[in-house]
Amino acid sequence: MAPVTDTQSERIRRAISARIRKTREFVDQTDPAALAIVSVMALSLFGALVGFLAVSDWTILPFVAFLASSAVGWFRYQEETAYVISLMMTVSTILILGLIVVFIFRESIPVIRYESATVYGFTVPGLRMFIQPNWDAVSPPIRYSMVPMIHGTVMVTLIASAVAAPLGVSAALFLSEIAPAPVREVVKPGVEVLAGIPSIVYGFIGFTVLSPWASDQFQTTGQGSYLFVGIVVGLMALPTVVSVAEDALSSIPESMKSGSLALGTTDWQTMTSITLPAAFSGVSAAVLLGVGRAIGETMAATVMLRGVPRLTEPLVNVFYGMETLTSIIARNYGEADGLQMDALFVAGVILFVTVLAISVGAQYIEWRMHKRLGGEI
Amino acid sequence: MAGATQTGGELIEEETTETDAVAAGAVGLSAVLFALAVAALFERISLTGAIAGVRTVTLLGGLLTALGVAVVAFGVGSRFGYVRTDPDPSAGLVAGFGAAVPWVVIGGGVVSETLGLGPTIGVIGAVVAGGTAFAVTVLPREDVGSTLPLGSLLALIGLVFLTGVIGPEWVWELDWAQQASITAGFLVPTATLFSALYGGWASAKAYGGFGARGRHMGAYVLVYLNALSIIAFLFVLVAYVVVQGVPGLLNGAEFGFGTGPQTTILGVSVTLPVSVPFVMNGVALFNDFQGVLPAIVGTIWLVIGAVLLAVPLGVGAAVFLTEYAERGRFTQVVEVATNGLWSTPSIVFGLFGFAFLIPRFGNGKSLLSGMITLGFMLLPLVVITSREAMLSVPDEYRDASAALGVSKWQTIRSVVLPAALPGVVTGVILGVGRIAGETAPILLTMAGGTFVPGSQTVDVLGSFQFTSAPPFVANPALLEATSALPYQLYALISAGVGASSNVGDADAFRWATALILLIIVLSFYAIGIATRYYFRRRLRHT
Repeated sequence: MAPVTDTQSERIRRAISARIRKTREFVDQTDPAALAIVSVMALSLFGALVGFLAVSDWTILPFVAFLASSAVGWFRYQEETAYVISLMMTVSTILILGLIVVFIFRESIPVIRYESATVYGFTVPGLRMFIQPNWDAVSPPIRYSMVPMIHGTVMVTLIASAVAAPLGVSAALFLSEIAPAPVREVVKPGVEVLAGIPSIVYGFIGFTVLSPWASDQFQTTGQGSYLFVGIVVGLMALPTVVSVAEDALSSIPESMKSGSLALGTTDWQTMTSITLPAAFSGVSAAVLLGVGRAIGETMAATVMLRGVPRLTEPLVNVFYGMETLTSIIARNYGEADGLQMDALFVAGVILFVTVLAISVGAQYIEWRMHKRLGGEI
Repeated sequence: MAGATQTGGELIEEETTETDAVAAGAVGLSAVLFALAVAALFERISLTGAIAGVRTVTLLGGLLTALGVAVVAFGVGSRFGYVRTDPDPSAGLVAGFGAAVPWVVIGGGVVSETLGLGPTIGVIGAVVAGGTAFAVTVLPREDVGSTLPLGSLLALIGLVFLTGVIGPEWVWELDWAQQASITAGFLVPTATLFSALYGGWASAKAYGGFGARGRHMGAYVLVYLNALSIIAFLFVLVAYVVVQGVPGLLNGAEFGFGTGPQTTILGVSVTLPVSVPFVMNGVALFNDFQGVLPAIVGTIWLVIGAVLLAVPLGVGAAVFLTEYAERGRFTQVVEVATNGLWSTPSIVFGLFGFAFLIPRFGNGKSLLSGMITLGFMLLPLVVITSREAMLSVPDEYRDASAALGVSKWQTIRSVVLPAALPGVVTGVILGVGRIAGETAPILLTMAGGTFVPGSQTVDVLGSFQFTSAPPFVANPALLEATSALPYQLYALISAGVGASSNVGDADAFRWATALILLIIVLSFYAIGIATRYYFRRRLRHT
């Protein structure tokens, strides 16, 4: 699904003072009884959240209080209740992101402390995970290096992007500019369905069909190669690229295209010299989001890789596939505990931060594009 | 053709038609080569064997050479005026880079490996070859530039195959610490594939007579081929799973009255007219046929739980964002957060559930944790699609309702939500299809057991009970680890062959599991897409 970008085109207009004024207006205009009910709802839900975070068995009480006050509010003061409930639901989306950040970071702290390294007399926590390539959870010295997994993720992502970007942008051009309506009605759902095929099914086919074939063709020892994981992951990231890039391409005003066509250019000339340059930032956001998908893809990588957290030799040896940041979590969560489990959380933190940065970057690019095109739509 | 006896102008027309036919034939030849290369890549045709009495590699080489010669001949013919075309002064930088890439690979490979001069001189060779190709493409007129480098590339590869320099037994051992080789089985089809693409591109340009129209043709051929390949890929993928999975799925299946198990529908005991043990049994020692019923039921409950959590939350948030909140920093933050959640890797959700939910629900993997984790994953999708649907409701609707003097919430409830319902429903169904197939989050939060006995089929509704100690309500079924189809498939893959001896044919069992999973997920998609079409058509009619 394409991220919503419409309001990003809006300029930031409201300052905090305006919001305070609005809140005061709301309080002034609202019936005191309704206000009381709404406050009870908010407080009890907050209590439930605190109880839940504190792992308390009594969480149920404030939660029931919330349900009861909402029920009362719904029948007596529906207007206010609906407003407050929808506000709480909105806040919950931010809250979930916040909780993810807090919890995965918190779990990863011990191993970051353990893997401190000293540089020029300064002790940098976690540095040793990135300056030596050794992951050994069993025999001393116990080391949890992220380097092999980062290498794996980079390899897979590069190959996947090389597959997904050109094919995806070309398919988006096809869908948005070239295809006649009946053809589009077939291809577009097809791309959607491609996004729907579960990653474990891709992985299973890769594992049973591609991996043995690749090992045979390239005469490697054992199965599992970054090359083919990358290709499979690229195909899985393809639908994301297609749908976001198509949105970007079709947001180009028709007037720009017809202006070009009226000069007597071919469709393709219009595409390459008007549509694609105008939609360039949106298309690159699409590719970025595809890259984000590729980085986070788990199951296909887990099933198809070898599960040995080591670097390939030489580093460019794409015919061997060891481990990625995602697959090491999926493979090792079962027997891991203590520091090793925390090390898996570090892998999760790296993934989360990278993909979040990509997502925010892509949104910024799209926002800028809409702002630029905004006057003409 | 018709104009042979008429004026000179039409004679030229006829000539052009013939050369057009040559170019069209070259495009067709490229298509044939493309198909042959794909078939060889999937080992549908054997490289060591023969097609129509000609050895496969020789045949590919011959066809490539012919295509290359045709392409070059067309370009050169156009340059010297034998063929009427409409070329630009230069083929352009994009075409230059396109032609340079294969020549870089060939130049580097030949100099460093075939001549044995090592990687350093190989780089020089690569740069020289690529640079020459780039220059020959960009500097001369377009008809030469867009045919000569590519045509000679095709002819070269064709001759290498034809003369047997690279035969079916050819192997290039990469001297790497971890042993790997490039074999003819990979190189020949791949080289043919890319050559066919280049050949098709060049000859489509030629068919269009170069210039703007030629580039249009060349690009359209590639773009159409790409779209076609994606659809073909999807079709092959699904067909392959179906073909592999059906035997396992129908293992022991019976049709006809009285064959199926007894079940109670609306209080009436009915004997189903079909019996498909694979979806009606668990795994047990004395079963005639083993099945995955617990995993199917687990998946269904998982989806129900996730939807119950995510849909109210998501739709509520969308209502607030579109209807109540003025666009400003707050909505922007929410949007960035939602989009961020949407792209967060599924395994990170799993880690989060592991750290956050598991300690709070009985310190073990549980169905409830899985439901909530998947609900969190579904949430951003529901918010995004519901917002899109609500934003597309015209403001006139809202104004008309407001003009009647009703309150804002009543407008939302009776005007905006009904109008946005189709979009929301479609989005939710498609989102459910996505999460139903997710493995990574439930791996860490919910799933346990590879072969689950039928007796462990989760029964959520029947397990609610009240307790005297807080939290007063308990549901053991929700707090137990259970299986779900995607996890089941993963467990079957990672368990290997030895562990699965109790299900008879383990391979058929796996493929059947994959098929069931695919059927469930794709039916969500089919329903979602069909709903969208239904509402869209209804909108158009009214």
